[in-house]
Amino acid sequence: MLFRPNVQVESFEAAALPHLTDLYRTASSLLRDRNEAEDLIQDTYLEAWKSFHRFELGTNCRAWLFKIMFHRLHHVRRRLVKASRVTTIDGPEGQDELAAEPVVPQEIRDEDVLNEFREIVLLADVEEFSYKEIAETLRIPVGTVMSRLSRGRKLLRQELAEVARSYGISPRTKQADAAETA
Amino acid sequence: MNTLSFDSKRCERIRQQLDSYLSNELLVETASEVVRHLESCEACSRDLESRMRVRDVLQRAVANRPMPESMRANILRTLRDSQRRSLSRVAVKRWALGFAAAAVVLFGVFAAEWLNLRHGEQLIASILKLGVSDHVICAIQGHNYPEVANPPDEIREKLGARYAPLLQVVQQRLPGFELLEGHICSIPGSDRKYVHFITRGHGTILSVILTERNGAALPRDKLLLSADSDGLGIYQDHLSGMEIAGFESGQYFTFVVSDLNQKELLQLARGLAPALNDTLHTTARLLPSNATTKWAKLG
Repeated sequence: MLFRPNVQVESFEAAALPHLTDLYRTASSLLRDRNEAEDLIQDTYLEAWKSFHRFELGTNCRAWLFKIMFHRLHHVRRRLVKASRVTTIDGPEGQDELAAEPVVPQEIRDEDVLNEFREIVLLADVEEFSYKEIAETLRIPVGTVMSRLSRGRKLLRQELAEVARSYGISPRTKQADAAETA
Repeated sequence: MNTLSFDSKRCERIRQQLDSYLSNELLVETASEVVRHLESCEACSRDLESRMRVRDVLQRAVANRPMPESMRANILRTLRDSQRRSLSRVAVKRWALGFAAAAVVLFGVFAAEWLNLRHGEQLIASILKLGVSDHVICAIQGHNYPEVANPPDEIREKLGARYAPLLQVVQQRLPGFELLEGHICSIPGSDRKYVHFITRGHGTILSVILTERNGAALPRDKLLLSADSDGLGIYQDHLSGMEIAGFESGQYFTFVVSDLNQKELLQLARGLAPALNDTLHTTARLLPSNATTKWAKLG
C-alpha cells in the first residue's frame, strides 16, 4: 500500500506503542547493549509500520510485534555470525586455501546456544507468553519450546546458585526463612 | 504438608511437569494432580518454590532495565519520517505517471500534426503539379505564344466574356512582364481545361493559369502557407525545375509558374492574387448563368 492516510498512523501508534516497554525490556536483556537494543526496536517498529496493512486489528498486536522483533534479531545475529567466520589459512599442504571451509568460532556457537535458552526463558517467565505464542514467535515447534525452556531454567538456576555461592550465600530454603522469621 | 510421602518415581514425574505447571500450561486434571502431590511432598514443593524464586529474581532484574526517555519520541519521529518519504514517493510516482501520460498525449498530438502536415504537403504538391504541367506542356514545350505579343483584342476574343476582364489584371499586376498570349487550353484525354496567360519578362517566360477546382481545395493549415495576401493563402513549391505559387480564387485554382527564383515569384503572386480574385468575383456576378457554357464552348 503506497498511500497511508493519517488515520492509519494513529491506528498503528495506538495499537503498537503500548508494547514499547515490553519490547525494549526483552531487547535490552538479550543484547545487553543499549544502543543495539534501541536500533532493534526502531527497526522493529519501522518494519511493523510498513506491514501494518497486513495486521488484523483486534488480534494480538503484542505477539505480532515480538515476532517481528525476533525475526529482525535473528537476522542481525546471522549476519554477525557470517562476518565472524574465519577461513583456515594454515591448511594441509597442497590444499587450496580458498576452498577451506569457513569456521564459526566455538565461543560464538556457545553463545548462540545460550541465546536460544535466554530467549525462551524471557518470553515465558518475563513476558509470560504461552508455549504456542513462543513457538510462533520463534518459528520453532512447541516441543522445542518446552525442552529449551526446561533446560534454560535449569541453567539459570545453576548460574544463580554459583553467583550466590561466590558471595558466600547458600540457596535459601523454607526452613531458613522460617528460622529467620523466628 | 506434614506427611512426607517420598516416592522417587512419582516425584520425578511431577518434577518433569513443574516447568509446564509454572507456565500454566498443564491440563486441569494434571495440574490438580501436581497440586495434590505438592501438598504432600515437601521436597517437590521446595523445588517449585526454588523455581518460582528464580523466576521472580529474573523478572525483577529485567524490570530494572529502564527504557530511555527518548525512545518513544525517536520511534515516533522514525514513523513520521517514513510516512513522509512514502507520501513523497507516491507524489513522485504520480508526477512521473502524469509526465508519462502527458508525453504520450503530446507525442500523439505531434504525431497526428506531423501526419496532417505530411498529408497537406502531398495534397498541395498534387494540386500545384497541375499548374507546372500546364505551363511546361503549353508554354515551354508547346511554345504556344508569339514572339511579338498578340493584340489585346485578339486575346479577349479567345478568352470570351468571362475571362477577358482578367487580361487587364495580368497586364497591370505583373510589373516588368509583357503579356504575349491568352487563351483557353484543354488537356488531351481529359475534361479539364484552363485559362492560360503567357507573359515574358526578366529574361524568362511566366504563366498565369486558372483552372476550376471542382470541389478540390488547398489545405487550411497555416503551417503550410508560404504567404498571405489580403486573406488569400498562397502556397509555393518547386516542382520539375519550376517555381510555382498557387492560391484559391473562388471556384478556381490560380497558378503563377516560372523558373524565376522563389522569392521573386512569390512577390509576383502576392501582387496578382487580390486583384485577380476581385475580378473573378465581379465577373461571376455579372455573368452567373452561362459561365460554364462559355467555358465548355471555348474548350
